[in-house]
Amino acid sequence: MAQGTGGEKRERWRPPRGRHRLPPEVIARSQRERLLDAAVRVAAEKGYGPMTLSDLTREAGVSRTTFYELFDDKEACFLAAYDRAAEALVRRVATAFESEGEWPKRARAGLAALLEELAEEPDVARMALVDFGAAGPAAQRRHRAVLQRLTPFFDEGRDYAPGGRNLPANTSRMAIGAVAGLIGDALAEERAEDLPNLLSDVLFATLVPYIGPAAATGEVGETER
Amino acid sequence: MPSTAHTGSGPPAPSRDLPAVIEEERLPAGLEQLPEPLVEHSQRERMLNAMARSCATKGYGATTIGDVCAGARVSRATFYDLFKDKEDCFHAAMELSLADAMGRIVAVYSPDKPWATMVRDAAAAFLELLAGRPTFARMALVEAPASGERAFELYASGKRVLQSLLERGRDDPVEETAIPSSAGRAALSAAESLIVGQILAGNTERLPELLPDVVYITTVPYLGQEEALRQSREAEKAIPRADS
Repeated sequence: MAQGTGGEKRERWRPPRGRHRLPPEVIARSQRERLLDAAVRVAAEKGYGPMTLSDLTREAGVSRTTFYELFDDKEACFLAAYDRAAEALVRRVATAFESEGEWPKRARAGLAALLEELAEEPDVARMALVDFGAAGPAAQRRHRAVLQRLTPFFDEGRDYAPGGRNLPANTSRMAIGAVAGLIGDALAEERAEDLPNLLSDVLFATLVPYIGPAAATGEVGETER
Repeated sequence: MPSTAHTGSGPPAPSRDLPAVIEEERLPAGLEQLPEPLVEHSQRERMLNAMARSCATKGYGATTIGDVCAGARVSRATFYDLFKDKEDCFHAAMELSLADAMGRIVAVYSPDKPWATMVRDAAAAFLELLAGRPTFARMALVEAPASGERAFELYASGKRVLQSLLERGRDDPVEETAIPSSAGRAALSAAESLIVGQILAGNTERLPELLPDVVYITTVPYLGQEEALRQSREAEKAIPRADS
């Protein structure tokens, strides 16, 4: 688990109360992190729509004044929390992906890491794939921009596949959509902890547009053995 | 989705009883085609239309009952005569448009058509419908999935109809490889994601140009790459080109 992705159940470190000598930027940073954690937790519990500023300040133990020093509004805080989580997720996927050689194996490692991370951080998962839609059009575009950061991992499939150049222009976007859709379906049914079991399905969905159903099934079979 | 006897984890057996699917989903099939904007014969319809328009411009979350009343030129009292709350109104708007849309998609279904042709025709009808009705496109694919349980359930029921079209209409089941039972659902999500991306980017009117992509992704798990690419190229020829 990369540090600072939020959603942890344990308490985050807080500066000691009362007079102390911590530099103001350290305090602000810790308050900011706590607010981001709070945004993840509250959005997962009650959804983005019903989440209020008071929820965030209470959960993070900061004042409204402090909140407004750090963020313009609820949306800004939520988006910052989302960005932090997305950053950690993409980094973990990239590390796993790069640990393997051939593209189908790289894809499998990356997807396995993705599913494990989301299973470990169900609040983050809910925020990223289920609740995000409620946060409005601007937020949705942001979400899609992050999903598109996964594109290079899929585009390698084009280079790997014989005849990959002939595939439709939007193949990678669609493959990402298939993976996000399968994960979103599982999360909507509150099955976050089962996510690692989706590996066969998301791997097939990832591989099939590039290498076809027979080869994709073969690769999936190797996963299961 | 009922499981089938012939394969454990393979795709459901093809079947030809699509009207029954519509029934299951409680969506009236083959409603009269409604022009867009929705017919404004009554205050109720004006309010449904105002709701759809407001969702398209500012999103469901930011839409207020005041917006709906102003857009429909009715009083708040009239609103509350007909709807319990904002969600109730949104649900009604979604229900009406969705029933009509699904009726149109299912109308392309015919037992005489090869499966791939049917998928192409249904995809083309869907993309054209969305392109011609940007407010519906936005409401059904952007707002509904994220606007409460009732709206989500309607959205999900529409998606299940499309999934049934894709899975159960198949006339030549893939013998061999037992592809995952989630393959059809995954392919639909893939196409949906591409479509929603275009809607959010403000390119709703150009959705019909995505037909070759949509045909490829929805047929490749079942037909294999070579045939899916052939179908995709066929679809390319069928797109009406605005420019060029």
